[in-house]
Amino acid sequence: MKLMTGIALLLMAFTAAAQGHLEVLTTVHKEVIFENATGEEETRLVQAERVVPGEKVIYTITFTNISDESADDVVITNPIAEDLVYVDGSASGADMDIQFSTDAGTTFAAAADLTVTENGETRAATVEDFTHVRWVMRNDLAAGAQGTARFAAILE
Amino acid sequence: MESAGRFRAFVATWLRRTFMLCALCMLTAPAYAAGTAVGTLIENTASVDFTQTGAQQTTTSNTVSFLVAERIDIVVTLLSGQVVVSPGDVDRALLFTVTNTGNGAETVELTMNSIVAGDDFDPVPALPDAIFFDTDNSGDFNIGDVAYTSGVNDPTLSPDESVDVLLVNDIPGTTANGHLGRSELLATATTGSGSPGTVFAGQGDGGVDAVVGTTAAAATAFGEYLVDDVAINVVKSQAVSDPSGGTAPVVGATITYAITVEVVSTGTATAATIGDLIPTWSSFVADSITLNGAVITDATDGDAGEFDLTGAPTVVVRLGDLTQADGPQSIVFRVTID
Repeated sequence: MKLMTGIALLLMAFTAAAQGHLEVLTTVHKEVIFENATGEEETRLVQAERVVPGEKVIYTITFTNISDESADDVVITNPIAEDLVYVDGSASGADMDIQFSTDAGTTFAAAADLTVTENGETRAATVEDFTHVRWVMRNDLAAGAQGTARFAAILE
Repeated sequence: MESAGRFRAFVATWLRRTFMLCALCMLTAPAYAAGTAVGTLIENTASVDFTQTGAQQTTTSNTVSFLVAERIDIVVTLLSGQVVVSPGDVDRALLFTVTNTGNGAETVELTMNSIVAGDDFDPVPALPDAIFFDTDNSGDFNIGDVAYTSGVNDPTLSPDESVDVLLVNDIPGTTANGHLGRSELLATATTGSGSPGTVFAGQGDGGVDAVVGTTAAAATAFGEYLVDDVAINVVKSQAVSDPSGGTAPVVGATITYAITVEVVSTGTATAATIGDLIPTWSSFVADSITLNGAVITDATDGDAGEFDLTGAPTVVVRLGDLTQADGPQSIVFRVTID
């Protein structure tokens, strides 16, 4: 299994490099609380292998400009799987504006500005409505630079 | 024979309990979501749009995925209200529902305990079986409800599925009115139970890992039996007989009082005693007390009654432990008008 995943990752990295000039890697982790040597509770991130309903998973998207030229208008988009619910306020990314979609990625807006119309009534969108999260970089991604975007979700 | 006896025991309270159960029907809608099914593959792929050297480009990431493991969670809920019983009742049932709130199929072992803290008496589990499935969905114990045997017919529940279970107990004859007796149902996942987060590697549906959820994969709930007050009817009548052979309530006339006492419900009126003050304008007729036709002497001498003069003159008759089966008890005594 691990070997196959490794090969897949390498293939993806190769493909990414060939496709454009940005390399994008995604990982998924979950928090595990354990007792350290001094008996204190510590939270450690481990790769998510088994996840049960109600558990939180954390996605990390790392993107690197592997070319010699800067990349402009960088926007990272990540769909939120149907069985996952976005954890309010969990998305982060340095110098990035975070936006969400409630219509399968057609339109995006800041969380506070999103509304949903149901049965003719318009209400503020909730995390259950979010279908996609995206990060809009405020600045260019210089050659060789790397950025990281994160969000967390709960498995329903 | 035994089955017929069990059935009769329930007829008396059938109406009251049917009503109660219907009131509860509205509360039994599924309140738990089992969550994403075991074995579901949750995949994630990010994409990045950017512009470089004037050209719009898109790059996708690798796809990461994880499998949804099995979360084992069991909930037991009491559906019965307080079950009203009488001392000596047999085969009285408490209704529970056992729900699989986990996300995989789970087999559940059932056990019961009728020695529960915080009550006044211990119900006695019926023999030979005391745990039954409510096979006929009546909400009560009936002929045809299938007995549960551990390891033989442990129920297997799909996610969000539940099964109604009856605990059948006898009520000791020594219980007093107003006393409570508790009996509890314990349901434990056979895959394993314990602290939330405990992992049973490869033991979930389809060989995925099973993880104990917040319910610890074991649940318990208790129900209560309440020994209820017995309903007694007391009817008093009088007949006047005057010295001239008429029925005028004149001085010297005799009044014959007749008191009829009857238990009109299930249960036992323990040490039932009737005390009747004679009117202040009258005099008690010596040795006039009878109980069901038999004379009771005026003296306090160990028989079933007396004419008590320690306070206001009172006719006292002790009826003992009275049940509906004893029928009406007839007490008669006489006074004359002063």
